[in-house]
Parts: sequence; structure tokens; C-alpha cells
Amino acid sequence: MSAGVARADGGRPPGSRIAVAAPLWVLLPALVLVPLALLLPGLSHGGGWSLVGQFALAALRPSLDPLVLSSALRGLGVTVGMALLGWALSLVLGLMLGALSSRLVWRQCSGRLWPAELIRRLLALPRSIHELLWGLILLQLVGLQPAVAVLAIAIPFGALVARVVSDQLDALPTGSLEALRSGGVAAPAALLTALGPPLLPQVLSYGGYRLECALRSATLLGVFGLGGLGTELRLTLQSLLFNELWTGLWLLLAAMLLLERLVGWLRRRWTMPARLSLSPQAPAPNRHAAVNGNTSGVGRGGRELVLAVALLVPVLVAVAWNLEVDPRSLLRWQPLPPLPPADWGAVAALPWPTLVANTLSLTLLAAALAVGVAPLLLLLVRPWPLGRAAVQGLWALGRLWPPPLIALLLLFVLQPGVVTGALALALHNLGVLGRLLLESAEHRGETTEQALLSAGSGPRLALLYGRFSALARPYLAYGAYRGDVILRESVVVGLVGATGLGSQLLEALSSFAVDELAALMVVYAALTLLGEDLSDRLRRRLLAG
Amino acid sequence: MDPAAVLELEGIHVRGRGQPRLEGVSLRLRAGERVALLGPSGAGKSTLLAVANGLIAPDRGSLRWQGQERARRPRARRRQQRRIGTLWQDLRLIEELSVQQNLNAGRLAHWGWPRALLNLLLPLESDACAATLRRLDLDPALLDQPVSALSGGQRQRVALGRLLRQEPMLLLADEPLASLDPRLAGELLALLLAEGRAPRALLLSLHRPDLLAGFDRVVGLRTGRVQFDLPVGAVNPGLLAALYAGEAP
Repeated sequence: MSAGVARADGGRPPGSRIAVAAPLWVLLPALVLVPLALLLPGLSHGGGWSLVGQFALAALRPSLDPLVLSSALRGLGVTVGMALLGWALSLVLGLMLGALSSRLVWRQCSGRLWPAELIRRLLALPRSIHELLWGLILLQLVGLQPAVAVLAIAIPFGALVARVVSDQLDALPTGSLEALRSGGVAAPAALLTALGPPLLPQVLSYGGYRLECALRSATLLGVFGLGGLGTELRLTLQSLLFNELWTGLWLLLAAMLLLERLVGWLRRRWTMPARLSLSPQAPAPNRHAAVNGNTSGVGRGGRELVLAVALLVPVLVAVAWNLEVDPRSLLRWQPLPPLPPADWGAVAALPWPTLVANTLSLTLLAAALAVGVAPLLLLLVRPWPLGRAAVQGLWALGRLWPPPLIALLLLFVLQPGVVTGALALALHNLGVLGRLLLESAEHRGETTEQALLSAGSGPRLALLYGRFSALARPYLAYGAYRGDVILRESVVVGLVGATGLGSQLLEALSSFAVDELAALMVVYAALTLLGEDLSDRLRRRLLAG
Repeated sequence: MDPAAVLELEGIHVRGRGQPRLEGVSLRLRAGERVALLGPSGAGKSTLLAVANGLIAPDRGSLRWQGQERARRPRARRRQQRRIGTLWQDLRLIEELSVQQNLNAGRLAHWGWPRALLNLLLPLESDACAATLRRLDLDPALLDQPVSALSGGQRQRVALGRLLRQEPMLLLADEPLASLDPRLAGELLALLLAEGRAPRALLLSLHRPDLLAGFDRVVGLRTGRVQFDLPVGAVNPGLLAALYAGEAP
């Protein structure tokens, strides 16, 4: 057979159209590495490479001093406890608010739709504000309390869960519901019976994922002084006590991997859908498949689930007791320092376009890096099991390490600014995305890859053609969602300075500039809502194929 | 060693959970031989084909492709696997790519990275792909179509086309006719039998003893063992009944 490149001459020679095919889509965002490679030398100041070396070496020699160990363990206990409480509260809030903001529920119960729309819109505000900001605001109002971190996690997480729940509810097939209603069953009972069972696996799967997020958030809140292991990590990093730092990090890594394993195991045991199919706008066939697939284990899974919830309640009470979380303390506001009169002229004079532009470029750079580098790395290390293990280790550390700490570490060798902030966020999110990519690569395109391998293709090309084709759309759709998360998160790297709205917000918070704070929060919330809308549209387009 | 043998299996043993999946299977395919593999579900047909195309390494026994031992080093083995084409029951087409890109996936083992990447931007070797489609009675205008837009029969042919683009010496097919209506099954079988002529050899697993007409030999497999290996004329209803005893054929 001849081996000629497509003819480009007259008529319509088949195959002469240039188009980027699916497997390449997942690699395109990695092109951002090119300008980054050109920028980085200008940003590095080279002074701290020895510090970075010391930090890396200390990983092998964590401090085993009993004092350090016990303090790290105590810190870890506080962090895990705050995460658990915040997560549980957010699930309860989210389920209630989700039902309350579902169009379907309102249509069945009262025939009116506007209350659902109203609640949905109101919930956008708590959702758009990062838990760190909630934490810092609450901290100003009621002082340092364990309850602050719990509530800071519960508010935005609850609003996020509510959105997912109401989206899922409104997208469920309503045939069985209508059947029950036409048989004269009252709306609440019919809703619970018809929609409860198909909703449950989705909520459980999402809830498990939220628990992992809660652990990361609780660590992050600690970095900003709200207690737990995060606080110790920051203190040891800033005092360059790397061996002690690694004691905490290894403990945290163990806790995180344990939690991820547990959640993954429960997900499989209770045959819940994998995370990649769990975008709120997942295409209908997927969702139905996931729902139908659940029927096999309902009886056993159901009993175990009731048992798990029954066990969880006393555990939560014990944790709250131990951490001395007192909800009443949230009502005792501490006196604020005398506030200067609002100066709106000064607020208007802030460099708004630069702030917004910096925030957006930080988000885009971080998102492109995280989304593009994960598949690139996977492709590079494909033939070597050891390389794959190394990449997985890198990803686990990235997930674990809160972005502001990565940023602080990067400051040893890079100048503060947008790129440094973006790199910190990218490394963290790369860990999240990479793990997801690995997980989903196990389920999609396996047979196609096998077919190519059996025909003698190399492992990398088989991965590219076989699996990345099938993964491209769902992976990028998840990447779009991640971009939305990164925009929200950009505030947390505000402490490396000059990173846009985030750094300005942190500054306003610490200087009690209430007028500036209010204006910044409004702009930031508007930007996140806009980002959320854009990422939703992108995701829907990708998944609709 | 038989100089004309395309595939030689001797004493192949593959472990399974509980009982072995293959137990002492020996089989030889010479150039031009077209062999049907019969047996009830779970007999080990798919495992035997996976050993034959190199996806599964046998626990014991020897495997030779065109006289060469199965290479241990991955790179050398890939070179051997290039010449073995498999038609899968579920086709394993790449749904997101065009017909031409799917056909060219058969060339991936021969291509380096630059060509493989370029094919994802501007599909390559249009003339060869069009010729393949014509050979399979398909319109070359389909080259630009995504495979997901094709009919069932067209998809079967594109999968066969990908295999032909590989220019294989050994054609393997795992129950390719199972989910086809009688007309499509007949057409595909005729194509496979035609492509399996010398210098190639064809090994095809079947669920239906009524389609044996065009084959040279029939191998009956049951619980991982070869029950019989006979010219097609020597296969009688009694042998088939024993092969499928206790099972629906």
C-alpha cells in the first residue's frame, strides 16, 4: 500500500481537512508550558535553591522527637475533626437547601416555581465565597473558636452540595413520580419514594468527594491560623524547621490516602457512580446507567448505609465534644475596633482593571497547567511502572500541600506575583486532576487500548489513541469545573502578593478596611459567579458532544 | 519447526481462578489455512486468541509466530505483534475519531510519534485508506465521517479495514459474527475468508457450527482443552454434540 500524505488538490479529497482530534484536546492546555518556560528564568532569584534542597532532603528524615510527633498528631486530630464536622453539617444543610431549591419539588408541592429560583440565586452568594474568606470574616467577628472553622467549611460546602442536589433532582426521570402522584400519593411521600433511591448514590458519591475536599480545606484554614495541623505546617515552614514540617506532612499524607481509599472502597462497595460522571450536567445516558447500575447492591448497601449513618452521629458528637466546638460561641460577637468612616472615593481609586486581569490570568494559567500537565505526565511515564508510581506520589503531595504553603515554598526561589501564585495553585490542582485522570483511565477506553497494544503499538501511542480519545470530553469537562474552583481558590494564594483580588482582599481584611472589603467581596463574588456560568456552559457543550 | 507455519502453539497452559483457562493446547496454522475455533462459552476460545495475539503470556508452553519464539522484551515483541491482526467482537473502534484515523490506527505500530500526532491533525495516507475502503465495498467518501456515525455493517468493515491496514500475516477474529444478522454475518465471513488466503492464515472463533463451510479446518475447544482438530469435512454432528454436551451451541 502506498504511503502518501493526503492530496490537497481539487475536488474534495477525503481526509484533507485539518482538525484537532479528541486525543490531542487533553494535551493542548499543556502548550502553556512554552511561554512559562520563557518567563520563569526572569522570575527566579536563585537565592533559595539550597533551602529547597534542604526541604526535599528533610522528607527522608522527618523529626521523630516525641514532642513534635505528639503535637503533630494532636494537630492532625483537630484538622480531621474540623473537616468531619464541617462536612457533616454541609451535607445536612446541602440536602435541605437542595430540596428547597429544586424546581421539581416546588412544582409538586405548590405548583409555583419562583421560590426555587429565588433560593437558588440566594445560594449563589455563599457558594461564590471561598471557605477561607468565610473563616477570616468569622474570625474577625467572634474570635478564634473551633466552631469558626467548622462553620467556614459548612457554609460554602453546604451551598455547593445544595446546587448539586437540586440539579440532580431536576434531571432525574420523573416517570415513577408521576405514577405515584396519579395514584393519589401526597407530594412529599411520592417525592421521597420515587426520587430518593435514584438520588442516593449520586449524593453519596459526591458526599465522599466533599469529605476529601473538607480535609484539604481544614488544613488550609489551619495555615491561616484557624487551628490544627495547618497552623503547625506554616509555623515550621516559616521557621525553616523542615524535619518537623515533614513529620506533619507525612502524617497528613497518611490520613489523606487512608480517607481516599476508604471513600473509594465505599464507592465501589455501594456501587456508586465514579466521579467523572458526576458533573451536575452529566449526560442523561450516563446518569441513568449509574442509577440503574445501583440496583444490584441496594439491599445490602442500604442496610450498611443506615448502620454507617447511625455510627457517624455519635462519632460526630464525640468529636465536637473533644474539640470543644460550641455553637453558642458563634453568637457572642467580640467588639470590633472603632471603624473609620467609609471612604468610597479611595475604594473607587483601587486599580480595578489590573486586579481583575491579574485574578483572571492567574486562574487561566493555573487551570491550563493543571489540566494539561496531568495527561502529559501520564503519557511520558506510561512504559515505566516506577515512573508512574513517582508521578502518583507527586500528585498525592500536591493534593495534600495547601496552595499557600506551596506558594511560600516557591518564594524561596521565585519572585512573588501572578506566575508564582498560579504555579502554586496549579501544583495543588494537578494533584487533584491527576488522580481523577488515573481513576477514570482505569474505566474508559481500556479495550481500545488493548486492541492497539495487541497490534504492536507502543504503550504511549496506545494510551493516546485508545484511552485519551474516550477520556477527552469528560476530562476536559471536569477541567472546566476545576477552572471554576481555581478562580474561587485564587484568594488563598493572595499572601504571595500582587496576585489580584485575592491579595487585596487579605490586605483589606487584616486592616479592617470594611468599605474596601465589601467592594472587593462583591466584585469577587460577581467574578466567581460569571466564571461558574462560563464553566457550566463549557462543560455542557463538552458533554453534549 | 514448520517453515510454512504462521502460528505454532505447543502445550500452552494458562492459569485461571480454580481451573486452568487453557490446559496443554497445541495448534498449528500454516500459510493459507483458515481455521474455525468452536466451543461452548467458557471453553477458552477468547483466551486462546489472546495468547495467539500476544496479549496474554502463557504460563507454560511455547508460542512461535512465523518460526520466531515469542520475544520477552516488549519492544521486540511489539515488532512481532505488528504482523498479527485481531478483529474483536466489540470492534474496539475509536469512537471519537474519523474513519480514516481509525483505519490508520492499524499503522500506529509502524509509525513514530510525528506521524501518529500528525494523523490526529490532518489524517494521513488518504489514498491507501480509500483503497482499503473500496476493497471492503465501502464508499471512500466515508473517510471523513466519525465512526460513531456509521451503521453496524459499516463499522464491522472499518474494523476489518484497520486490521488490513496493519498488513498482517495472521488474522484472528473473536466471535466476529455473534451480534450480526444473518445477511451481515454472511458478508463479513466471506470477506474474512477471502482475506485469510495465503500467504496469510486465519483463526476465527465461532459460536455457530452452521457457518463452517468455507473453512479448511475446525478446532473444537472445551474446558481449556482441544477436543478435536480436523478437516472441515470430517466434523460430524456427533462430534459437535459431544463438544456442546450440556450447553446450548
